[in-house]
Amino acid sequence: MFELLPPLNDHNLPWMDTLHPIVVHFVIAMGLITFVFDCIGIFARKPALFEVSFWNLLFATAAIFVAIIFGQVEAGLANPYGASSDILNLHSTIGWSLAGILSAMSAWRYVIRSKDPKQLPLPFLGAGGLLSALIVVQVTLGNQLIWVYGLHTVKVVEAMRAGLV
Amino acid sequence: MGLHLMSIQFLPSESPIQQLAPELGSNGLPYSLPIHPNLVHFTIGLFVIAIAFDLAGALYPLEKRVFRFLALPVTRQGFHDVGWYNLLACCFITFFTVAAGFFEMLLAVPLPGVTSAIGLHSMETMLWHGVGGVVILLVIVAMTVWRGYQRFLWRKDMGRQVQWLYLLVGLAMFLIIGLHGTLGAELAAEFGVHIAADQLLAAGADLKVALP
Repeated sequence: MFELLPPLNDHNLPWMDTLHPIVVHFVIAMGLITFVFDCIGIFARKPALFEVSFWNLLFATAAIFVAIIFGQVEAGLANPYGASSDILNLHSTIGWSLAGILSAMSAWRYVIRSKDPKQLPLPFLGAGGLLSALIVVQVTLGNQLIWVYGLHTVKVVEAMRAGLV
Repeated sequence: MGLHLMSIQFLPSESPIQQLAPELGSNGLPYSLPIHPNLVHFTIGLFVIAIAFDLAGALYPLEKRVFRFLALPVTRQGFHDVGWYNLLACCFITFFTVAAGFFEMLLAVPLPGVTSAIGLHSMETMLWHGVGGVVILLVIVAMTVWRGYQRFLWRKDMGRQVQWLYLLVGLAMFLIIGLHGTLGAELAAEFGVHIAADQLLAAGADLKVALP
């Protein structure tokens, strides 16, 4: 059965390079810019920006499910060591939670936009602020997995296969 | 030949990065997580979505029925607003992406003896990624100005706010940015630049002790 799976390369991946960090461009950038544009829209009275942040939020929500699919596959092949196992667990938990939160916020935003696209209630802005904070925490955890522990880097995979970590 | 010998004589016996060594952590930076790869999320995400939404605005007559079927009210102007404001934000943040990139590249110590998946050595990869980064910043600035002219002057009263050529240049940039990003990813995952675990392993450390 296992011989049906594609062979793993020197990144311990069935494809050239990690794909999760590429897909998360769209969750991070679109999620955070939604809050930025909402703030400018409210405080500089530019309601046209509410439409821009609505679409960015919708895109972040679509992208996070793709990010989770690749994230789960690549986490499964990561062989975390030391404290990185705990970080990876927390990163997975927050990742799935963010999918729920982003979906709920997209639905909420859809209703707000259907009622009056030129108005944004302050509670939504507050929720956007909390969402941004959670994204920042999530990004920091992901950063530690690659920049501290080097998961899926050639050097660490090499050491792992030699039984050094 | 003579020039080549001379240039070798001019190489400093000790790398200038040694002057900062006491300030730097095991990842080669004066802080624990690199900044450039995090700003890159914004440059790439905002650019790609900007072009994608201008494309959606340009092809609006074809999609109208789909959105009506989905009961999702959309306007062509709204799509082009995403195209404009996301590009504007991309243009602003990319100056910082490139600046952080150069700072962190000055402190880069790639693993020795590595050849990347596309057959380049570390110095070649850094030169292409550094020069390429400046060129991409220039193109993004030029495209933002171009986009502004289309939005506020040339195509102000038109439904389709962008020229087909603009969209074509944008799509070509997807390819160039994809290649450029691959070089950046290789600097990390293959050359171990600013990755604490890779640098510790290269220095002969035991990760079970160094990164428990």
